[in-house]
Amino acid sequence: MDRRSALGLLTATAAAAYAPDELLSLGRSFHQRILNGTRRVLSAQQDATLLVLTDLILPATDTPGAKAAGVNAFIDLLLAEWVEPEEKDRFLKGLADVDTRARAAFGKDFLQGTPEQQTALLVALDDEAARWKASPEATRGPEPFYRNLKWVTLFGYFTSEVGALQEEHYAIIPGRYVPCAPADTLSPSE
Amino acid sequence: MSPKTYDAIVVGSGMTGGWAAKELTEAGLETLVLEAGRNVTPADYVEHVPPWQMRFRGLDNRKKRMADQPIQRECYACDEWSSKFFVNDHDNPYTTESDKPFLFLRGRQVGGRSIMWGRQVYRWSDLDFEANLRDGIAIDWPIRYADIAPWYDHVERFIGISGEKLGLPQLPDGQFLKPMELNCGEQVVRDALAKHWPGERVLTIGRCAILTEDHNGRAACHYCGYCERGCVTLSYFNSINATLPAARATGKLTLRPLSVVHSLIYDKKRNRVAGVRVIDGDTKHALEFRARVVFLCASTLESARILLNSATPDFPNGLANSSGELGHNLMDHIMGGGANGKIAAPADKKPVGRRPNGIYVPRFRNLQGGPKSTFLRGYGYQGGAGREGWGRGSDLPGFGADWKKALRQPGDWGFGFYGFGECLPNHNNYVEIDKTKNDAWGIPVLKIHCSYGDNEWALMKDASIAAAEMLAAAGAREISPFVEQNPPGKAIHEMGTARMGRDPKTSVLNGHNQAHDIPNLFVTDGACMVSTACQNPSITYMALTARACDYAVGAMKRREI
Repeated sequence: MDRRSALGLLTATAAAAYAPDELLSLGRSFHQRILNGTRRVLSAQQDATLLVLTDLILPATDTPGAKAAGVNAFIDLLLAEWVEPEEKDRFLKGLADVDTRARAAFGKDFLQGTPEQQTALLVALDDEAARWKASPEATRGPEPFYRNLKWVTLFGYFTSEVGALQEEHYAIIPGRYVPCAPADTLSPSE
Repeated sequence: MSPKTYDAIVVGSGMTGGWAAKELTEAGLETLVLEAGRNVTPADYVEHVPPWQMRFRGLDNRKKRMADQPIQRECYACDEWSSKFFVNDHDNPYTTESDKPFLFLRGRQVGGRSIMWGRQVYRWSDLDFEANLRDGIAIDWPIRYADIAPWYDHVERFIGISGEKLGLPQLPDGQFLKPMELNCGEQVVRDALAKHWPGERVLTIGRCAILTEDHNGRAACHYCGYCERGCVTLSYFNSINATLPAARATGKLTLRPLSVVHSLIYDKKRNRVAGVRVIDGDTKHALEFRARVVFLCASTLESARILLNSATPDFPNGLANSSGELGHNLMDHIMGGGANGKIAAPADKKPVGRRPNGIYVPRFRNLQGGPKSTFLRGYGYQGGAGREGWGRGSDLPGFGADWKKALRQPGDWGFGFYGFGECLPNHNNYVEIDKTKNDAWGIPVLKIHCSYGDNEWALMKDASIAAAEMLAAAGAREISPFVEQNPPGKAIHEMGTARMGRDPKTSVLNGHNQAHDIPNLFVTDGACMVSTACQNPSITYMALTARACDYAVGAMKRREI
């Protein structure tokens, strides 16, 4: 097989030609289901709260944001199948704490706040997380919920189809290695 | 009905089994390759399945992995995509002493571990082949560089190696395709080394078994980046991409997957191995196959296990073990001494494409004619430079549209040196049969006794200090030296359970990988190694295998075997 025909075959049908069919179709139907469907761990209230939180962290700009990427559904999957029970508890407690803070700040659950109130609360959480990160490891308390949320939002977004393709311009088959390309090249660097 | 007698049986279809199959069939021998695991073809490759089509997007099914592959998951390549190329730990147990952990990382399938190997290829030199003699350690290698050099050429021409010629005596040049390129960050460090340690510490692009040009009907790399998941363009070398197809093309190959070799059949009257006892992987029925010559290419530990499980009244401690060295002198490269830092490289540049290869710094300690260190032998570094991506967002204050936009630009340039050091041979590092435990096919398993000594740890300590020193010379900041506490086995460069040597009293194999005790038995995987050097060993196994095949074919023609 020469390079041209090999690559032509690949780019024409992408991975579908070679990835095991059952894996692909499983993956597709599964992710479709979690995009549309109900949650296995998160209540409707928790899910809606996460939808707003993740979309504030990574909003739609000239590319789709966390909401379109289904980050809340991915978090539900991790809570249902991936994390240990104590990790799940910690995450859900952290999420509940967002509402506690919201009620203290503006007298309502986070979801019922105005966008300004929600953003102000997130600014406070972000500052707190930055202070935690900057403080000495030996004396600081447990990692704030918000850092967990921020990481899983980033990961869920950039490994989603819309995040990877539209925001990161991830190429499954770059086809070349350019060792010193301009830093704003729209192509994967990693 | 008496079973068909093949000219040759090769046990294993991985790195060396594929080579034995190719060389023996091309010499005209009817060859049976017995592979313990399932069949794998390029249709099983998954390198182009993107994260969003994986259930956990690459975070892996960690509960399943911890249940089924608690040991295999220690290998970086045993991830959500490639875990199918690693064994189930419950079917494939082994034991150790509680205070001497050993990681036995395995791929049982057609292609073996050549599917997920690291693809780094470095020739050895006489600095390595003479090392034991020079230091008075263990026994001398029965060969020198001149004996193996033409076989390195032979292997390299077929598999295709990309790399840069350096003219260094401790790392001989080979038959190279054009090298991959260093990125801007790596160029900065290369230049700093050239300035501070001219001619002594050299940074080059990794020499790897990945094609940079179309070669022997296989396509050049397309930089998707995940070779350990397979390669539909056959751009990196593994046995199912290259050697097994070549063997099949002769019409002389019979490949039998799901054939778990239990032991060898010894014919005392003729002093020959008559054949192989096999447990069918599916039915678990016992089978026998016969041949004029047998090549063990099952891996360092599995080949030793087969010979130990083949004990007879004449060889009570394992077949071909009159020396008592079978199973002993187990070694694995020690790895994980190095340093990371942030480097000053052009902020307006970044690499594009996923180059499945890094840098290499050849050994610079204890070279001939150079200063002597407080430890023996040396180490080399792999590593490389890259820029931070979206992952840095976790620690980048802020959120929202501006923050998202800021993540579009690459972050800081980072650089890492990661050392691989030589492991000294030690008779007390050994394997034996654990009579209390069988694998899923009823075959007694290995008990592994292995730990690193002071010299290995001294190498890694020095590797971390020297790496920090080089980063400092390159103007790096936030330099973090490290020495990982890796157990042996983790480098997956295990060697030495059936070493070569000149004296049948102190070695299992002669200078042609032929058992001293039984002339139609050859062992050509990592078991044959007498020392480890610090370079990745696969290319040396392949060259030794091709050389041994040539010798065996000659001996068969001369009717010696």
